[in-house]
Amino acid sequence: MSDLAFIDETVTRIGSGPEALIPILQAVQDHYGYLPQEALRRVCEQTEITPAALEGVSTFYDMFRHKPVGESVVRVCRGTACHVSGAPRVEDALRRHLHIPEGDDTDRERKFTVEPVACLGCCTLAPVVKINETTLGHASAENVPEMIESYQEIRRSASAAPSTELASDDDGQEKPTIHVGLGSCCIAKGSDQLFHVLREAVQKASIAVEVKRVGCVGICHRTPMIEVVIPGKASTYYADLSAAEAPALVRRHFPAPGIFHRASRLWTRALDSLLMEPEPSVERNAMSPRDTEVHAFLGRQVHIATEHFGTVDPLDLEEYLARGGFSALRRVLNELQPEQVIDSIEKSGLRGRGGAGFPSATKWRIVHQQPGDEKFVVCNGDEGDPGAFMDRMILESFPFRVIEGMAIAAVATGAHECIFYIRHEYPLAVKRIRAALALLEARGWIGEKLLGLDYKLAFSIMEGAGAFVCGEETALIASIEGRRGMPKLRPPFPAVAGLWGRPTLINNVETLALVPWIIRNGAEKFAAIGTAKSKGTKVFALAGHIRRGGLIEVPMGTTLREIVEEIGGGVPEGRKFKAVQIGGPSGGCVPARLADTSVDYESLGGVGAIMGSGGLVVLDNSTCMVDMARYFLQFTQEQSCGKCTFCRVGTRRMLDILERLCAGKAEKKHLDELERLAIQVGAGSLCGLGKTAPNPVLTTLRYYRDEYEAHLHGHCPAGKCSALIEYRVTADCTGCTICAQRCPVDAIPLTPYRKHHINLDLCTRCDTCRQVCPANAIEVL
Amino acid sequence: MNNFEITIDGQPVTLQPGQTILDAARQIGIDIPTLCHLKECGPLTTCLVCLVKINGKLVPSCATQAAPGMVVESESEEVHEARRTALELLFSDHVGDCLSPCQRLCPLQLNIPAMLRQIESGAMAEAVATVRQALPLPAVLGRLCNHPCEQGCRRGAADDSADIRGLERFIADHDLRLTAPYLAPCRAATGKSVAIVGTGPAGLAAAYDLARQGHSVTIFDRHDRAGGSLRAVAESELPGEVLEAEITQLQRLGVEILLNVELGTRITLDTLKSDYDSVLLAVGDNGKAETEKLAVTLTVAGIKTDAITAQTSLPGVFAAGAAVKPVKQLVRAMTEGRGAAECVHRFLMSEPVRRSGKPFSSVMGKLDAAEVQLFLQTSSDKPRHVPCDACAGFNNGEASSEAARCLHCDCRSAGNCAFQHYAQVYDADPTRFRSARAPFEQQLQPGGVIFEPGKCILCGICVKLTEMAGEPLGLTFIGRGFDVRIAAPFDHTIEEGLQKIAAQCVKHCPTGALSMK
Repeated sequence: MSDLAFIDETVTRIGSGPEALIPILQAVQDHYGYLPQEALRRVCEQTEITPAALEGVSTFYDMFRHKPVGESVVRVCRGTACHVSGAPRVEDALRRHLHIPEGDDTDRERKFTVEPVACLGCCTLAPVVKINETTLGHASAENVPEMIESYQEIRRSASAAPSTELASDDDGQEKPTIHVGLGSCCIAKGSDQLFHVLREAVQKASIAVEVKRVGCVGICHRTPMIEVVIPGKASTYYADLSAAEAPALVRRHFPAPGIFHRASRLWTRALDSLLMEPEPSVERNAMSPRDTEVHAFLGRQVHIATEHFGTVDPLDLEEYLARGGFSALRRVLNELQPEQVIDSIEKSGLRGRGGAGFPSATKWRIVHQQPGDEKFVVCNGDEGDPGAFMDRMILESFPFRVIEGMAIAAVATGAHECIFYIRHEYPLAVKRIRAALALLEARGWIGEKLLGLDYKLAFSIMEGAGAFVCGEETALIASIEGRRGMPKLRPPFPAVAGLWGRPTLINNVETLALVPWIIRNGAEKFAAIGTAKSKGTKVFALAGHIRRGGLIEVPMGTTLREIVEEIGGGVPEGRKFKAVQIGGPSGGCVPARLADTSVDYESLGGVGAIMGSGGLVVLDNSTCMVDMARYFLQFTQEQSCGKCTFCRVGTRRMLDILERLCAGKAEKKHLDELERLAIQVGAGSLCGLGKTAPNPVLTTLRYYRDEYEAHLHGHCPAGKCSALIEYRVTADCTGCTICAQRCPVDAIPLTPYRKHHINLDLCTRCDTCRQVCPANAIEVL
Repeated sequence: MNNFEITIDGQPVTLQPGQTILDAARQIGIDIPTLCHLKECGPLTTCLVCLVKINGKLVPSCATQAAPGMVVESESEEVHEARRTALELLFSDHVGDCLSPCQRLCPLQLNIPAMLRQIESGAMAEAVATVRQALPLPAVLGRLCNHPCEQGCRRGAADDSADIRGLERFIADHDLRLTAPYLAPCRAATGKSVAIVGTGPAGLAAAYDLARQGHSVTIFDRHDRAGGSLRAVAESELPGEVLEAEITQLQRLGVEILLNVELGTRITLDTLKSDYDSVLLAVGDNGKAETEKLAVTLTVAGIKTDAITAQTSLPGVFAAGAAVKPVKQLVRAMTEGRGAAECVHRFLMSEPVRRSGKPFSSVMGKLDAAEVQLFLQTSSDKPRHVPCDACAGFNNGEASSEAARCLHCDCRSAGNCAFQHYAQVYDADPTRFRSARAPFEQQLQPGGVIFEPGKCILCGICVKLTEMAGEPLGLTFIGRGFDVRIAAPFDHTIEEGLQKIAAQCVKHCPTGALSMK
């Protein structure tokens, strides 16, 4: 290899201690596309990192590859929402279309690499595929060829596209604004293009309108979405907009900058457009905030962690300050004693939003009480639950808020070092936090003098490398220290002996984002929201089989039914609401009949689920609950660190039984063993991942035992388990041949004008024929 | 902090600060099983067979610091069930046999592979000891046994099984030719006496075991010669002098043989019962008439006995062999005799009367051709040696060369393996979570280290030891989840990863994953 010089530069830049290992590997992979062994050996020569440590770490994390990749890397999201929306079929179709050989991930010509990814966190666009840096939503098995084609088109045209991450063009004057949501999901649906076209149109028209990048609007199911805000007038939302419609929108709202000024030019342009092409109508996209749909979606919500959602520029520090930003931190530094801050947090009733709901003040207090001043605050942004994207959205949309929350936590506990641990699947979140920190640094507000006052506080960012288990505190610490993310037995708790053996406060993103609000508005105000034991609000990623998916923040105590039916508008037409999967792989499926369960830690625990970090995947009657359990066990099995027997082998054996069930090859004794083993894995595992891994199995067994029993008899009631179903053409077939043309495995002979037949030996149950049939003449038996 | 007290299963134990629950248990003699525990490595918490229950939760005792007043539950059914499950889960992914099929199939549990290796290396005295410690009358069995061992021999999948019975005879004959043939060690005299009625295979086998346990054994037979049904075997198959020699061996052990004594004439069951601490009836099926006169309950087949205790309807009177039900094979009759002897022994020692189960073994099942090939690497490629009719068995060279055909498919750690040991103690079922087996793999290293990845339970001891020793390459965990494995980095061999501390890693491997040739 020629350019090993890169390794030497990287080591010089990043460092040569054991903790530099993961960042070095990330840099090596970014540079070479994979981890060439020669480069790795060089790393060992140049650093204190041992070959054993390097090999152990580089094979632990998902993002590291030891083989070269194709020119393009296609990542297929395996998140929960994607899974229930057909991701496995999309993955199969992609592999077929791109000629990926069995047992490999790259085609022979090395054009494409197809690899699964645990969750891209764009759940409302499920199924999601990411080709290199471009995220594509709503993929399906039959639109795979178009998808690849359109990606290649985007790539050809995108070379000249400017970056979305522009500075604000706000000049401080009050003027009409167009808010464009630029979270990752919105960008995936094309809102960045829309943003640029709007800016261009405004510039060309020379009108005093600000086109403003804002964070997540939350109404993900209607993106790209914009809000036109004219001072003194009600705002108008436009949903599902395309870039082509943008200029017309500008003209509609802002007809002329001045009667005389540049009038002729404008008129000419207007005339041009009238002559050249018919004016696209944007009326159909308009919705007012009083629009029932928007109202229903937003009506029940209370925005604390997501305060000012959809209206503030994530990276506009002035705007953040103008809205009270950093006032809480200033108060903490100037007026309050650490104990008072912790008392406030205690009074607010704040509990950890990462899943387990541990009282935050207790953690803070333990860290505060530890001697010494080498302590750490870590923001746990390793949001690994498939089907969850709250933390990504908060980091992308409210970077300053999370930083402020962390700083308050640091001051209250006596820590002088803050570390963001953010999963690498969230590049925009990393970018925005980095940019926000840079802005603060430029102002001299972090580092030696926090907010310019007498408190030293350093910030750094550590990117995760793809391991769900690193959401577990002790595994996260191992990861920051440059080791395999293998959990340790607690106690000792990180609050006593954490990172580098020092007291370490680890809080989830959302928990930290709530802190400034609590300090600013008072603990009492926060505690007034919610239930007796669960205070405040909870942010949920609402996705799956739901009409209005999105990012929502609701008061604790809201019922699941209110979330699903009122906010989410229920399941799609013609389907039946079956269950809510809450808490991801550690959570459970709450059946529709228990939908009046209140969203609080205790009630959810009572029905066998957990609050979790906030993934809320709605399931309709097309979902097989055995498949659901199998899906989650597959996930935990892959994500198990492989350390303790119960988790490493136990989850595998549970998965074996579930696979047997889905294949119709299980007997009653297997079902009994599954239940017995599930209880033992839960009781015996070392860390939270293993202890909660059986939950999806136990809750589905509790509520859907009949479905398990049906599988014992070779029947899948939801018609999902491919080994147990057959596709058949009904008498309604018109002989149109579409199914035969689209069948990816030629299982349907072309018989024009005659009823078609499916060769079941060839059929892979990919569902394409059923989806493309214009006569609804394909049935599943 | 001062010393403090905790309780384990209600037993108080005083501890110093910093001690773990495992330390505490060991201090008061509670044997909590561990596989991944090695003091110098610190708690690795991978195997989780050392679970105990504290405050309603199962925690690994090796890593849990004791705290004043802790109430620990160790030897309860719930905790044992969890430990057993951990063992069973580990076995579900354990590729390898503890015991070779030949040994598992031998009803008398002769350690055949050990015998073969001793013969191969010319260690005749050791081979004799191996054989005589397991078998009563090996010279007889070496001629007449129907050798189920050979049916199971894995070598049979390649060409022919090893001639196990022939080699057994070779060793037994060799022994009998010595002026003082090998005498199995006997325990100190217990002062207890046993009367055995019948000198057939079951009776002689029982006498052999009971004598070795230190009991005073007297065998009665109504015939004028000892041997029972063995006397009916043709001289060409079992020369009388061989039988006599083996019977003499028994007498040398202290067994008294009284011939021409028919039960019911000179002595009765009642007199035996009063003169001896226990009686074992092994009268064979020829003694039917004799048994009918006794006061014991009969079945259609013979004397009625309890399936677990081998006891007849009379307390302290046991029965075995064809007297109970017909036994076709010699080795089975002897096994019955041995089983009854064990019951008698426990009865005499006032222990719960039962025969022990089979020794625990992980079972690999059928090997595929590639796996057989792996084993062939370490064995002789010669075909099975068939001694000529006239040569009466093997000579030393032939025996050694035939023994070298053994595939050594038993585990090098068998009998010295914590995993096997605790599986036996916890009565683990290695097949509970059986699924498709991974291929057997064996990496023979030039320096003599043998790595069998399928036997690795990922305890992490070797990884930690190499790290602590500053091995230039060392070993590491590769991958994640169920597929984690141990290897040296950068595709180096295991031995390259173990340049400094190979012996130490082999010694501390809790299974047979790492061994020495």
